[in-house]
Amino acid sequence: MNGMHGIIFSYEKATDLRELIEARVHGSIPFAGEYRVVDFVLSNFVNAGVTDVGVIMQGKCQSMLDHLGTGKSWGLSRNHGGLKLLPSFAYNERRGDDGHFRGKVEALGNVMDYLRHIRQDYVVLADSDLIINLPLQQVLDDHMASGADMTCVCTSVPGDRDDTYFKVDDTGRIVDTSYHGYDTTGYRCLNVFVLRKDLLIDLVTDCMAHNRYSFRHHILQDKGSELCFRAWVWDGYAARINSVSAYYERSMELLNPAIRAELFPAERPILSKENDSPSTYIDPTGECVNSLMGDGCDIQGTVRNCVLFRGVKVEKGATVENSILFKDTVVKAGATVRCVITDKNVTVNENVTLIGHEHYPVVVEKGSVI
Amino acid sequence: MKKECVAMLLAGGQGSRLYVLTGDMAKPAVPFGGKFRIIDFPLSNCTNSGIDTVGVLTQYRPLELNAYIGNGQPWELDGRDGGVHILPPYQSATGASWYKGTANAIYQNIGFVDLYEPEYVAVLSGDHIYKMDYADMLRRHKEAGAACTISVMEVPWAEASRFGIMSVNEADDITEFAEKPKEPKSNLASMGIYIFTWQKLREYLIADENNPDSENDFGKNIIPAMLNAGEKMVAYRFAGYWKDVGTLDSLWDANMDMLLPGSGLNLLDKKWPIYGRTPSCPPTFVGPDSDVGNSAIAKGGTIMGEVKNSVLSFNCTVGEGASVAYSVVMPGATIERGAKVSYAIVGENCHIGAGAVVGCSPEEAEHFDAWGITVLGPNTQVAPGEKVEAKTMLDKTHGKENAR
Repeated sequence: MNGMHGIIFSYEKATDLRELIEARVHGSIPFAGEYRVVDFVLSNFVNAGVTDVGVIMQGKCQSMLDHLGTGKSWGLSRNHGGLKLLPSFAYNERRGDDGHFRGKVEALGNVMDYLRHIRQDYVVLADSDLIINLPLQQVLDDHMASGADMTCVCTSVPGDRDDTYFKVDDTGRIVDTSYHGYDTTGYRCLNVFVLRKDLLIDLVTDCMAHNRYSFRHHILQDKGSELCFRAWVWDGYAARINSVSAYYERSMELLNPAIRAELFPAERPILSKENDSPSTYIDPTGECVNSLMGDGCDIQGTVRNCVLFRGVKVEKGATVENSILFKDTVVKAGATVRCVITDKNVTVNENVTLIGHEHYPVVVEKGSVI
Repeated sequence: MKKECVAMLLAGGQGSRLYVLTGDMAKPAVPFGGKFRIIDFPLSNCTNSGIDTVGVLTQYRPLELNAYIGNGQPWELDGRDGGVHILPPYQSATGASWYKGTANAIYQNIGFVDLYEPEYVAVLSGDHIYKMDYADMLRRHKEAGAACTISVMEVPWAEASRFGIMSVNEADDITEFAEKPKEPKSNLASMGIYIFTWQKLREYLIADENNPDSENDFGKNIIPAMLNAGEKMVAYRFAGYWKDVGTLDSLWDANMDMLLPGSGLNLLDKKWPIYGRTPSCPPTFVGPDSDVGNSAIAKGGTIMGEVKNSVLSFNCTVGEGASVAYSVVMPGATIERGAKVSYAIVGENCHIGAGAVVGCSPEEAEHFDAWGITVLGPNTQVAPGEKVEAKTMLDKTHGKENAR
């Protein structure tokens, strides 16, 4: 049995995702025509043989709860272990001052009983909003072989100012951790950590006892000299969705076959909740080029450079270009849509023209009728 | 555990008229309509009709079918009580035998049905494409106080002699049954879908088993025996889409019907959904120079070429400059660049090399009489540039080309 337990952090964060997080947390944003963002990390866990996963959630978790269900789509509906949902309302007396977790350590401290009952020796921590296809088994193997106290997955691809950056010595040990943009050189942390369960419990207990709550400050920085934290570098595809423009860019780059090949290798499939949609139908008058299309779409108009989620309908004479249409979007006859992200169940009426800019796509809120 | 109605789904036949497509799997497991397999239709009909207990009688090459049905979850047939059960022939203290006929298959599983103490049993075929509300048929059965209700549909008089034909009186009680009559007295054809009052059927199954001359078949033995004994038997008229996909031509036809608005087999119908086991795969990518029209495409594919009037299942690849027309392409098939596939059924995981030509349109055929659908069995490899003539059938061993 694999000795690794998965923990996913899924809660509201301050980001520039506008209407996309009106009704959901980051991890349940639809992505790539077929998935929710959380499917990636969850599938990475499952593909590495992880059988027990806890999801710490806070905030607008309705859509996340709906999506994860019992975990059966990921083979995590089990008699023993499997998927455990850990919503924060069960622990609210110890939450941070503004009603949100002040940091990951505080989130972990609130599920201390859960941590104590973990059956596995190792734990992997990851954020629900990371889009990646990581060979996690490799990370665990390397972690055990290295003898490090904790292995931190990071990338040499630079990121934003608010990311965490590591300085690493020749042996792979992290010698310095910085964040908030004063120094963005070094390896960028992807917030995937592998460590022993016992060490995690000790670290969290110690932090909670001293009102320390931040993983990067109170663990990565404060304990970095005392303990051996090791960098594990992944320079493959890794995306964090933290703004509408990032979402749009990351979605559009999926039209590049090389990116898709990296994100969807056959040996590590990304699993998602099953659906009952029939095949997509493209009508004799319909045209759909350079696009990704989910199942159950009905395309009678023209679609170019788009990502279509399932059940999208594009009526005759309608043109949709460079856009991302979530589940059950209907674009009626003669409408023109360009550089737009429509959330679920949006209807664009006959002959309406809706045009955003590729650097500032229009986002249409869930259920809107235009 | 008591159930009002239990369904018994006959899925044991070889489906020999599907030739290479059923070389390794039972007919009900054959892919259909892009996302589905044939058995999804009766299973989904059961779920949509409120029947939550289904026995699937298997015998011929059941492995793929068993794996596909699994725990029945895609059809919501994984409930606490009931659910879907695979019923292969089994050994008992007094010996063992294969299912000798459709009636014998149910006879051997009387014990299974009795577990649920049902009032009624629906006996269904695993190889028909149709959407039917069995609850409505059951209502007719109960209202008529029948021992047996047979679902029928009107067929053109010219074709009536190909079917089991029911004669009925003004109340739609069945008065006569004739299997493939030369001179049909009616044009009401049996669809091979029956509802029986279980205790009645149970008696007739036991009597039939004790008759050494019987072929143990519903159409040939049980129905005539009940009719002769004067049991109340009524017809249930069905007017929707129904097709027995027991032949390669009818399988191709039914797939094409799905693309035809007004055929009654509406792919995107949300009122009576068909469920199926769906693999996890990314959405289908349609390339910048692709041209897709009047086609149904399931996810996981990459389409760089032209696809017209065709049905493509999961994970199919159509290379640049390749064309697929009037064809049914089953899961995992690859059609390399420049290849041309027309009027063909391409089995699972086939590989058609670059520039190969598979099948042709009736207009292109040298002799129209020799034209027909071209069929590639699962895992067939067609070499680059190779030509596979119309009406040819190839299997994975590629040893023999079987002109049908």
